[in-house]
Amino acid sequence: MPPVLQTSALSIGYKNGGKTPKVIADQLNLQLSAGEFVCLVGPNGVGKSTLLRTLTGLQPKLAGEIQLSGRKLESYLPRDLANQVSVVLTSPISVGAMRVDELAAMGRFPFTGLFDRMAKHDWEVVHETLRVVGVDKLSHRYVHTLSDGERQKVMIARALAQEPRLLVLDEPTAYLDLPGRVVVMNLLHNLAHGHDKAVLTSTHDLELALRHADRIWLMDDEGRISQGAPEDLVLNGSFAQAFNRAGVLFDPLSGTFDTQNSGSKTVFLEGQGSELIWTRRALHRAGFVVDEEWIPGSPRVCVRPQEGATTWQLEHAGQTFAFASIYDLLQSL
Amino acid sequence: MNQTPNNPMSIQTKRLWLFGLFLLLILGLFLLNLALGSVSIPLKNIWGILIGREGVKESWVYIVQNSRLPRVLTAALAGIALSASGLQMQTMFRNPLADPFILGINSGASLGVAIAILGSGFVGGLFLPALTLRGEFSLVLAASFGAGLVLALILLVGRWVQNPTTLLILGLMFGHATSAIVSMLVYFSAPERIQAYSIWSFGSFSGVNWTQLNVMAIVVLVGVGLMALLPKGLNALLLGEDYARTMGLNVGLLRFVVLLSASVLSGAVTAFCGPIGFIGVAVPHIARNLFKTSNHKILIPAIILIGAAVSMAASLIAQLPGSQLVLPINVVTSLFGAPFVVWVVLKRKRGATSFNV
Repeated sequence: MPPVLQTSALSIGYKNGGKTPKVIADQLNLQLSAGEFVCLVGPNGVGKSTLLRTLTGLQPKLAGEIQLSGRKLESYLPRDLANQVSVVLTSPISVGAMRVDELAAMGRFPFTGLFDRMAKHDWEVVHETLRVVGVDKLSHRYVHTLSDGERQKVMIARALAQEPRLLVLDEPTAYLDLPGRVVVMNLLHNLAHGHDKAVLTSTHDLELALRHADRIWLMDDEGRISQGAPEDLVLNGSFAQAFNRAGVLFDPLSGTFDTQNSGSKTVFLEGQGSELIWTRRALHRAGFVVDEEWIPGSPRVCVRPQEGATTWQLEHAGQTFAFASIYDLLQSL
Repeated sequence: MNQTPNNPMSIQTKRLWLFGLFLLLILGLFLLNLALGSVSIPLKNIWGILIGREGVKESWVYIVQNSRLPRVLTAALAGIALSASGLQMQTMFRNPLADPFILGINSGASLGVAIAILGSGFVGGLFLPALTLRGEFSLVLAASFGAGLVLALILLVGRWVQNPTTLLILGLMFGHATSAIVSMLVYFSAPERIQAYSIWSFGSFSGVNWTQLNVMAIVVLVGVGLMALLPKGLNALLLGEDYARTMGLNVGLLRFVVLLSASVLSGAVTAFCGPIGFIGVAVPHIARNLFKTSNHKILIPAIILIGAAVSMAASLIAQLPGSQLVLPINVVTSLFGAPFVVWVVLKRKRGATSFNV
């Protein structure tokens, strides 16, 4: 079975009306299989949307080849293409007075005739997708009364109702709060693994991408794409390379980004549990280099977790202070 | 705003009731339009005249058959055409204030007619025999051509300019530009032609005879028929063109058919009745609000009924029943329509998203 999506020597960008086309990326050899969840990540403005638009046929490629289920993308009629690929776009929709099930039912357009008469099977598919996405209880609500997260899930349900082999999403979590993002990323992961879809999404949520994606397509500002399991890209330094810029560092230990520590003051920290972790973060933010070994003369912070009330003890210049909160500790440092 | 989950059955029943209600309203307005005017004719005689019963006052028969019946039918057709045009424009531009009038399409039609009426002095009377069948078609052609030209320009620019507000402003500017050309034509024209043009520009359902009415009916039927093929495409456009494309729709063809339908419809009305404002923008909103949906499968029949009813009501008011005066239709639609649009805008600002297209 051929992969759902395969590109060879693909070049993307904009045709510039007779002049030389603006190439955003070229020589892209990408591959995406059924049951795989891929996150496309990269700094702002490197051309992630252009790539997604080209792969879904919304924008012409410049050169190279895109194959969908073993057939050239250009050889598909619009309706047949809609049976292969469906999309969820960034821009929030404003359909106003439309019920959730009506909106999701739009996913059946490639299957219905001119007058969009829905067969019983079509409604079954719609209700099933609403259930899979977890918004079946909302199906009679009006779309404009939903929260951003709920609306995005309905848009995913609409895309699924198209019964595509490949689901492409352009920053589906952009307008969502953090729990909403986790829910959507988890959903996408499950769609790939539980429903055998090929799922490709661009995202700015690196930490979530690292946690949920089977593979990462990491695009840098020169249009190169490194592929691999998230962990591989972390370990071989690709992540750090693509995102590092003045003052921001990728920390391969935690998989998170951090502001560069420009502090020169050193502090020794001891303690345990989550209190220790969060105290370290706080000291880090305040510009301290947290040392593992105590150097005589530098401040020493002791976290003492106790039932009900944790205290932070600071020994500095021969004096000892006790604080009831991290905030108070930082204030005195 | 807090809509509880609605039972779909009850909503469908409610919609059926609404359709029935509007049919009754249309019937009532139809009879009132025949009965009321400078001369009042008792309702019981109206029925007699309509089925051709003997023994009704001959002057009444004449008034109904030659003046009021064509007028009310014209009003209904014009209302349907303008609403259909407005609905398609609002969906395509995804702008709740888009309508043929605001986007300058009516101005385009006006330009066509102005060239036909005023320019005929220069061109040698090609459009002058305005009462012959050829004249009717020339006028419709001129108006449709003008309307289509402006709409095509807007669509052309719309390929580059995605921001609907910018497009709306461009439409307004197209409108101003065409008005300027019309003004120039007026400035250099003979007084009687100017008068003919300015009477046309007030808007009226009265000047349409049976021959013209037939032409108009055919054109409106074609335009509405085209729109009736599009509920699916228009629904898809609610999500934007990119979504429509990925759902397998031929967006270019869709745009073209919408362009054709909207410009033919507004062109025909403008040719026969003059540039009539506000019906096109208001009726789709009334339909969305009453039927609580943006789904064109429901909106298309709804705007046909509401458009006919609103326009017939305007026609009735314009007659100022019981007086010898007749108001221009534009006066009536603007007096009622302008506050309505203000209300639409203010309601949007308060975040009532049900007024999104």
